[in-house]
Amino acid sequence: MAVALARPRPSRNPIVAEDRRAGWVFILPAMAIFIVFVFGAILFSFYVSLHNYSLLSRGGAWQIFVHPGRTWVGLDNYRDILSSDDFWLAFRNTAWYALGVVPAQTFFGLVLAVLANRKIRGRTFFRTAFYFPAISSSVVISIIFLWMYSARGPINYVLRELGFPTPRPVWLANPNGIFAMLLHELGIEHVSVWLEGPSVALLSIMMLNVWTTTGTMMVIYLAGLQNIPGDVYEAAAIDGATRFQMFRDITIPMLRPVTAFVVTVGLIGTFQVFDQIWVMSEGGPAKKTTTIAYLVYVEGFRQGRGFGYASAIAVILFLIILALYFMQRRLTAQDYQM
Amino acid sequence: MSAKESSGLLNRKVSKRARALAIPTGLVMASVGPFIKRTAFAQTTVRVTGWTSSGAEYDLFSEVLQDFEAAHPDIKISYEPVPSDYPTKLQTDIAAGTVADVFYVDSMFAPDLMAAGQLLPLDDFMSQSGVSVDDFYPGLIASFQWQGQTYGLPKDWSPLGTVYNQQSLSDVGITAAPATWDDLRAAGQALLDATGEPRIMIAADPARYLAFHYAAGAEVFSADGSQIVINSPQAEQALEFYYGLYRDGIATTPADAGAQWPGDGLAKGLSDIVFEGNWLFPFLQDSAPDLQYGVAELPAGPAGKVTLAFTVSFSAFAGTKVPEAAWTVINYLTGPEGMLKWTSLGLAMPARPGLAEQWLQQYPEREPYLNSGEYARGWQLGVGGQAFYNDAAAEMQALFAGSQDVPTTLQRMQEAAEQRIRLQATPVATPTA
Repeated sequence: MAVALARPRPSRNPIVAEDRRAGWVFILPAMAIFIVFVFGAILFSFYVSLHNYSLLSRGGAWQIFVHPGRTWVGLDNYRDILSSDDFWLAFRNTAWYALGVVPAQTFFGLVLAVLANRKIRGRTFFRTAFYFPAISSSVVISIIFLWMYSARGPINYVLRELGFPTPRPVWLANPNGIFAMLLHELGIEHVSVWLEGPSVALLSIMMLNVWTTTGTMMVIYLAGLQNIPGDVYEAAAIDGATRFQMFRDITIPMLRPVTAFVVTVGLIGTFQVFDQIWVMSEGGPAKKTTTIAYLVYVEGFRQGRGFGYASAIAVILFLIILALYFMQRRLTAQDYQM
Repeated sequence: MSAKESSGLLNRKVSKRARALAIPTGLVMASVGPFIKRTAFAQTTVRVTGWTSSGAEYDLFSEVLQDFEAAHPDIKISYEPVPSDYPTKLQTDIAAGTVADVFYVDSMFAPDLMAAGQLLPLDDFMSQSGVSVDDFYPGLIASFQWQGQTYGLPKDWSPLGTVYNQQSLSDVGITAAPATWDDLRAAGQALLDATGEPRIMIAADPARYLAFHYAAGAEVFSADGSQIVINSPQAEQALEFYYGLYRDGIATTPADAGAQWPGDGLAKGLSDIVFEGNWLFPFLQDSAPDLQYGVAELPAGPAGKVTLAFTVSFSAFAGTKVPEAAWTVINYLTGPEGMLKWTSLGLAMPARPGLAEQWLQQYPEREPYLNSGEYARGWQLGVGGQAFYNDAAAEMQALFAGSQDVPTTLQRMQEAAEQRIRLQATPVATPTA
């Protein structure tokens, strides 16, 4: 359905030219802010990643421009990162996080959207209720969940009342991988670190994140659902399709571009997760909730290996997300041409 | 200003732009106006920052600052406390050059700041004002000295001690606080047998464990400071004892019991024995005013008594525009008058031995804390010590979760220290008093 748009030729009409100039003037403030604080900051961080610079370096950031030779380390930061245990631990944590959260929030987002799209009583209430966590402050929600997950919190209380075991150490204090724990029960010890699975602590934060982002995904899916023409369903109904067949063979295929979008946004969001980690676990216990974005913060701001090193991690994170985006675009190439 | 000058040089269009610029410039001038006026009365503003953990702490410190202003009408203080994540805020402000003139520096983080040249040397000011290094406990002031210069004066200090619920201990027939590790384990076992619950509360935290580490005769640095020697047979004995309390069900952790920190556990009745500093008591006063508690020195280990001494300095930013006034503020806050008033809150003890007697009159039950000054070890591990602390805490958490054993934990702590601590510039941790 792609429409080829002819590139408009610059007009010689003085009125149009005036408009264009006015247009530039209007976007100039926003462009200036974007160039300085977003684009400039990104370039700066790439430049810093090639230097040995920390926030406490004497003379401040100007030094690396004035005397770049003194702090220049080339790709050393990158080499150190790729050979450090901390980075690969953070990579595993982030990967588990994305692997768990993205499918879950996509699935629940779709289910909720389908339910909230039906003509049922109190539809507006449900839509608002499901969307509510997404618009609440993530810091406030995180603090509430800190209490819910605590040893004497409601989650443990319910589990105990129902006769289920509660984890020890308690949820957010438990760095043990869930697959490693399962395998331990089966008598298999010393599994590879790549197969340990997310820690109980990370899983707790993942569940919170699914809960908060599902609402956003629901809203995106709702918009997609309303773009599906009703006559397609009518035709299917005349052909004798059941509700489930319509869902499987019409709704899901018609929503593919939306799903592609939801998964992309979800991947980017999960790979950048920071605030819930910062509030709930500060990367602990035993660094098992330290995501790549949180590692950037720890190394840059918390007396770590400095800003240059942290910037290099940020660049690597950018490259990872970029690679994921292209992979995902390839896999769903036809969806973008709708 | 610029609008007038430019109109002759540039075309009309640009001068219009310049006029547009002149409006915000005028607004800025108007808003700085009051500040300029103040300096006209020869009053200097000194910005002071630090963290604050409670309303009472904030109120009392503000009061001390008001006393200062009353005594020094030429200096106005702008107090800008940081509610959380203080080290992050401090570092970014330093990098931006907008940091306060006078700020708190924690002893563990001090070497990083001193080595980076971000703190103002105070020695010349000290000799001018007749302040001697000997006015302070040597171990405390040494935490803020670097290559023969002094970069901060300690505002207060606190060691760790044993605080226990008197009633619970006497219920199981224990009348005195545990004096040795064996006593501690026996007391914990007796409490466990009587209540069916672990009643000692410890945290998987190097800021507590290290006292036990030293008390077993283990060290972090070799005697000449050239090597990291965390991993040793003595350390294994210490960590085995500390973690063993938890593994064997005699001790619990705040997370397991549902407390914020061990002091909270004591206040909520979730534990009977904790190892904390003076900061515990104002908290107990608020949250468990009826608790009858006892205070004792930390139990002695195989190598004798050791505790950790935590201290914080007032230091000035190397780039401050008002070094003289900043020193006047530091000198007052760490001087006899300011320090005595500040420490009267009971959060910490005076860093001047000369004030100890007076302080003890107010808090006689805390004599064991004061006595432990003789053998306390400074909470400082050289440049990179804070980064090492973060790594070591992660290793202890893994140990407490059963993910790794004691020898692995020590091995990994050793590796973390070798990576994080800049050895050639590391002074050997010194006893306090």
